[in-house]
Amino acid sequence: MSIKYAILGILAKKDLHGYELKAGFDATIGEFWSLNFGQIYSTLDRLEKDGLVTHDRQSQDKRPDRKIFSITAEGRTELTQWLSAPIARVRALRDEFFIKLVFMDKDNPAAVLALIEKQKTLHLKHMNKLTRRKIALKTEADNPDALTTELLVDVGLFHAEADIKWLTHCEIKIKAALGGKE
Amino acid sequence: MIELRHAGKKFRQGTRQIQALRDVTLVIKKGEFLSIMGPSGSGKSTLLNLMGGLDQPTEGEVFLDGRPLHGITDNEVTLLRRRHIGYVFQFFNLLPLLTAAENVGLPLLLDGLPFSQVKPRACALLRQVGLAERTEHRPDQLSGGEMQRVAIARALIANPAVLLADEPTGNLDSHTSEEIFLLLKSLNNQGQTIVMVTHDPKAAAYGSRIVTLKDGAPAQDISIGEHES
Repeated sequence: MSIKYAILGILAKKDLHGYELKAGFDATIGEFWSLNFGQIYSTLDRLEKDGLVTHDRQSQDKRPDRKIFSITAEGRTELTQWLSAPIARVRALRDEFFIKLVFMDKDNPAAVLALIEKQKTLHLKHMNKLTRRKIALKTEADNPDALTTELLVDVGLFHAEADIKWLTHCEIKIKAALGGKE
Repeated sequence: MIELRHAGKKFRQGTRQIQALRDVTLVIKKGEFLSIMGPSGSGKSTLLNLMGGLDQPTEGEVFLDGRPLHGITDNEVTLLRRRHIGYVFQFFNLLPLLTAAENVGLPLLLDGLPFSQVKPRACALLRQVGLAERTEHRPDQLSGGEMQRVAIARALIANPAVLLADEPTGNLDSHTSEEIFLLLKSLNNQGQTIVMVTHDPKAAAYGSRIVTLKDGAPAQDISIGEHES
């Protein structure tokens, strides 16, 4: 869904061929989201069919022509509308960890608690890594995307923090339920 | 640097005996940035207070650079603390009638040095924490984040072996907190050993090592080297 808009956003700045588009994607959001050429080309196909993107052929020496993609007026309208609309769907609760929790042995809380502990440690290590990235970004004064990259690192930190808080909450509730039985 | 050997702390609360810390053995190396996490009541602040000589263990031993912090007189502890330990608290603990520079210089003034001698270093530290323009301001003329910067500069005035911070941003908004953590991290990058108590995983993540306490004892000790990815 958002690949479509990311591509429109990149093409809104400059006409590009497929390879440059991938490079542009990697430079702006690739740190958090990697795409392969297949995904990019199939999305471009769809965008062309919908009239949001068009292409020109550029001939090359001894090599097949390459396509230079550009955004159409309809594409710009679509992008502007998308940019100004909030996202209606909130994050789905389908984290792999939730599934594990559902299928854990309810009669063996020790195993659940041990898993929670391990998961918290992983989140903390992840947060440490993101924090180091954030500190490094402070030294990249010439990076035009430093602020947005930092904001993306921040959202990663906030989510991990929320996960840790929730896991701690699980721990306390499971222990309280246990205490009640004994 | 700091070493705890089987350190424990019991409190009496009415008729109840509370074991705030039990059998803590921990070594903090020079240059480390250690975060201590744990739920409230897990003994975090008590542990920090033992490291800073603000409290004495009821069992075991605590050493700072090989010097015992346990079993010595109050006066000896006070001197050790003033000269070798920098403390940063959640509520800044600045003296309202003193300027920023005077607050920063206070530990040395208490040691009997004249302000004329202390002031250049106090102002240099204020510059280092980004408050070059605020040296003559009193606490009530400063924002929360600025007050905590003054407190950090004060903690550094005696070139302490270790900087101890107890929920240093517990009273600040998230953006100001981040600036304080970045400041602590840059001090750590310059070699300052730091131990910080926090319940906030975002804060703890600035550390190169995270110890989690549970019921008065370390339950987990994660080391995250700078070079590790």
